[in-house]
Amino acid sequence: MIKAIETKELTRRYGYRVALKKVSLEFTVGGIHGLFGANGAGKTTLMRIISTLLRPHGGFISVMGYDPQEEPEEVKQRIGLIGDKPLLYQELSGIENLQFYSKLYGLAEDHFKKQVNELAERFGFTTWLEEPVKNLSSGLRKRLDIVRSLIHDPMLLLLDEPFSGLDKDSSEVFRDYLEEKRQARTTILTTHNLAIGSELCDDYVTLRKGLVVGQGPIADFEQTL
Amino acid sequence: MTSGLSAALAIAKKDIVTQLRKKFEIFSMFLFALSAVLAFSFALVSQGTIPEDVGSAMLWVIIFFTGMFGFAPIFLSESETGTLRGLASAPIPAWSVYVGKVIYGFVLMGIVQIFLVPIIAVMFGFSFLNDIPLTIATLVVGTLDLAAVGSMASALTMPSESKATIFPLVYFPTAISGLMLLIEITKIIVIGPGLIPVMVIFQLLLAHLLAMLTLSASIFHFALTP
Repeated sequence: MIKAIETKELTRRYGYRVALKKVSLEFTVGGIHGLFGANGAGKTTLMRIISTLLRPHGGFISVMGYDPQEEPEEVKQRIGLIGDKPLLYQELSGIENLQFYSKLYGLAEDHFKKQVNELAERFGFTTWLEEPVKNLSSGLRKRLDIVRSLIHDPMLLLLDEPFSGLDKDSSEVFRDYLEEKRQARTTILTTHNLAIGSELCDDYVTLRKGLVVGQGPIADFEQTL
Repeated sequence: MTSGLSAALAIAKKDIVTQLRKKFEIFSMFLFALSAVLAFSFALVSQGTIPEDVGSAMLWVIIFFTGMFGFAPIFLSESETGTLRGLASAPIPAWSVYVGKVIYGFVLMGIVQIFLVPIIAVMFGFSFLNDIPLTIATLVVGTLDLAAVGSMASALTMPSESKATIFPLVYFPTAISGLMLLIEITKIIVIGPGLIPVMVIFQLLLAHLLAMLTLSASIFHFALTP
């Protein structure tokens, strides 16, 4: 089976504190994979290493078949990232933010327009596109950030607490979207909301203090709740 | 995938648009520069003009310190708002982020200088008209040099908790060699030829700029990805 993410004995330290201790895991291509654990378990560190934002101190990692250290641009082209903070520029409007990121991802103008129309419509952002981000509520910023992360149609979606700040309707729209793309796209989801996690995910990995303490089909995880 | 240079231009354009909408950074830079010019001209003018060698040094000292206002926040704002992760996770070479910031720093300082240099010429009572092409070339290369050093200093001080204190510690020693060359060239433009031909000093300045750009661009990925 093709692997979207594969790590072997992956280690990362912050000073003397070990954030990831020889983490070995696999996520297959397609589907929604849960990455669970309490605060400080190492979820965000692992997500950052996958997205090339951090370098590991030891071990092996492969993302969509590429080494994030040796081929970072190949990995970056294939990932979409949603974190706790929207990656948006306050002084720019929604459409200017999206245009800026589309240039960084090298999107053709017609493809960009098609993507914006489709995603803004889907996430109910069309009427807010011209508004400066600084004037938007936190929920609208989150919706725009979702559109930003999907604008280049990534193969791998890394979602770190994606539902925080979203209202019920927006949350449902996003969940429907993830469901629809379940097979076409690989999604890694970290969330403290285990109800949403167990409902959406196909399988899971649980981290505790940088160690893998559980992994398997989501049905196994539900039994531990 | 986008090319490094077009990504750099997109980053520079985004920063310039952002800056022109915020305005306060460019305004505070200009206000500082104007205050410094006024203070120096009142303090140093005797018999109508400032000694030209002192004036040449003052011009670049004012530009150097004005640059601190513009260069120090170049990466700070990206780091604080989290947008640096957006740049770091985009499929562009790390050097393009650095080059984009250098272009932005250059344009920012250029806007200030368009107003500042004529004011300095009038207040200090000396003329750059002796060699207009060399004056323009020196301002362009000198500002690029300061922007190259300032952008890297801003990137290197990003992880520090006391950025405001650390930034000058990195910026001052790195920029001082270029600054001395700039003062020497400006002195020659204003006063006349010295012991060393001006083109030799100008070539040294170009070499300094190229060294700073090459070195900084080649190690910038360490600043972007810890």
